[in-house]
Amino acid sequence: MSVTIALRPPWPRPRLPSVATAVGVLLTGIVVAGAICAPLLTSADPLGLGGDILSAPTRLHPMGTDDLGRDLFARVLYGGRVSLGIGLFSGLLSVVFGVSVGMVAGFAGGVLDEVLMRVTEIFQVMPKLLAAVVVVSLVGSSLTNEVLVIGLLSWPATARVIRGRVQVLRGQEFIAAARMGGASHLRILWRNLLPNVFAYVLVSTSLQIASAIVSESFLSFLGLGDPGHPSWGLLLQQGQLFLQQAWWLTTLPGIALAMTVLGMNLLGDGLSKGRG
Amino acid sequence: MTRVIVRLLLRRLIGAVPLVFAVVALTFFVIRLAPGDPAVILAGEAPTPEFLAQVRAENGLDKPVWQQFLTFLGHAATGDFGRSIYAGRPVFDVILERVPATALLAGTAMLLASVAGVLLGVASAKRAGTTGDAAISALSLLGTSVPSFWIGQLLILLFAVWLGWLPVSGMVAPRARYVGFAHIWDVAIHMILPVTTLAVYLVTLIARFTRTAMIEAMSQDFILVTRAKGVSARAILWHHAFRNAVVTTITVIGLEFGAVLAGAVVVEIVFGWPGLGRLFYDAIYRRDFPLLTGSFMFSALVVIAMNTLSEIACAMLDPRLRDG
Repeated sequence: MSVTIALRPPWPRPRLPSVATAVGVLLTGIVVAGAICAPLLTSADPLGLGGDILSAPTRLHPMGTDDLGRDLFARVLYGGRVSLGIGLFSGLLSVVFGVSVGMVAGFAGGVLDEVLMRVTEIFQVMPKLLAAVVVVSLVGSSLTNEVLVIGLLSWPATARVIRGRVQVLRGQEFIAAARMGGASHLRILWRNLLPNVFAYVLVSTSLQIASAIVSESFLSFLGLGDPGHPSWGLLLQQGQLFLQQAWWLTTLPGIALAMTVLGMNLLGDGLSKGRG
Repeated sequence: MTRVIVRLLLRRLIGAVPLVFAVVALTFFVIRLAPGDPAVILAGEAPTPEFLAQVRAENGLDKPVWQQFLTFLGHAATGDFGRSIYAGRPVFDVILERVPATALLAGTAMLLASVAGVLLGVASAKRAGTTGDAAISALSLLGTSVPSFWIGQLLILLFAVWLGWLPVSGMVAPRARYVGFAHIWDVAIHMILPVTTLAVYLVTLIARFTRTAMIEAMSQDFILVTRAKGVSARAILWHHAFRNAVVTTITVIGLEFGAVLAGAVVVEIVFGWPGLGRLFYDAIYRRDFPLLTGSFMFSALVVIAMNTLSEIACAMLDPRLRDG
């Protein structure tokens, strides 16, 4: 298989990350670290009730408390675990699905390509978030259902990008060489094409995780989140009730959400430029 | 010319049929997929046995699944989306009542966002690579990153709660009962914040895509030719480059209409705007599933229509897109 490797198009040259990418890494890093190290950063229980209700940020409660006296700082940190977790899993699900569809469609061409792209188009035109709301209301809201619904509704963009790349690569000599070497379709897809679209897969993953976190916050904001595992979207929904009394309940969880999504988007943009 | 347009219209409309069919089919299967008896889902909680039997008969739920699907399809095709459990009236009527408020909100937001997005995108492309361009790009990334309901909440905190310049929520001042011009003014005041909130996402998205399309158009040879002929920079930008970039802008607006409607749902909740989004939200809370699925189908059909319209507009603007 050395022939395959020799004829593979050159990898993008490693470049110094731009300022934007560095900011993206920093923002994402802070939020991820906060969510992972939550028990080290606060001793408060995100679900534990307290006597101090709707208290503005103080030394004891750095982000204030909500209407049941729960510590907002703990809720934002632990809420990050829920939001990031759902974002990660539904983002990955959508990328795996999208990459599979895109690679098969681009490689196979013909009728199969036509059919797959028609289906992709249907999912792309359908209002994704509204469809997610309808499905989750009917099948019931749980973390698993949220991940499945968001993941399975968000793959079309990835599929289209990957299909386009595979169509370009399909005609190149290293694929013909692999074919002549007797490689099966599956082997060509896995060993020859996947490594060559991997940069695109990384970019998609980053952007899809960001988009999944926003989709989750949308569902939670409409009351379809899991109240036992409050995500940032759920915190914002609760904040809406006390918008005029307690500014911290909406402002602070929203900043955490915005930092994450902006960070992941900057990272995705940076990766796509580094592709060269 | 007219024949080309008519053929184009027909082809795009026929192309939309499978999409409409897919949306209706998907809605049907989601109702079937839900745990429990579909008759109970359609009739609401704790129905009388007679009403349950009536719902079962109306929707053919005692027949095989494929017959049920045909019944559902037939109903949807004639505008019969079922009966709202809460309102006790046909879903379609309930939806139509709410359309004007959402159309006013979303229409204004889209109009303003298109103008602002194009201006920003073109301005950014004109100075590609400068600090100004970077600043616009960074702002657009931020605008597409944050959820619109949070932007709405921040705007309320700033302009309604702290500064007290604008009303917190609603479409009209409660109990004021203005008429004539005073009423229009009242609605306009109430529209400022929700329209801004809804427009932010679109402005930034349109600006990003317009910028890329403009940079691409400006690098073409015909731009070099017009420049060599001594055409003014302004004419090159708007007459020659933008005419090529506008197709991208229109396509983005068409494709993102679904996101605009989803944005309208949360914006209407944040601002207590009495439109379709608010209806959608109430349907979730009251577990009014016929209303929920009906609103979804209605929204999806509007999205498909907008998409088809944008495709037709693109083909009319750019002869290269009139394939065949």
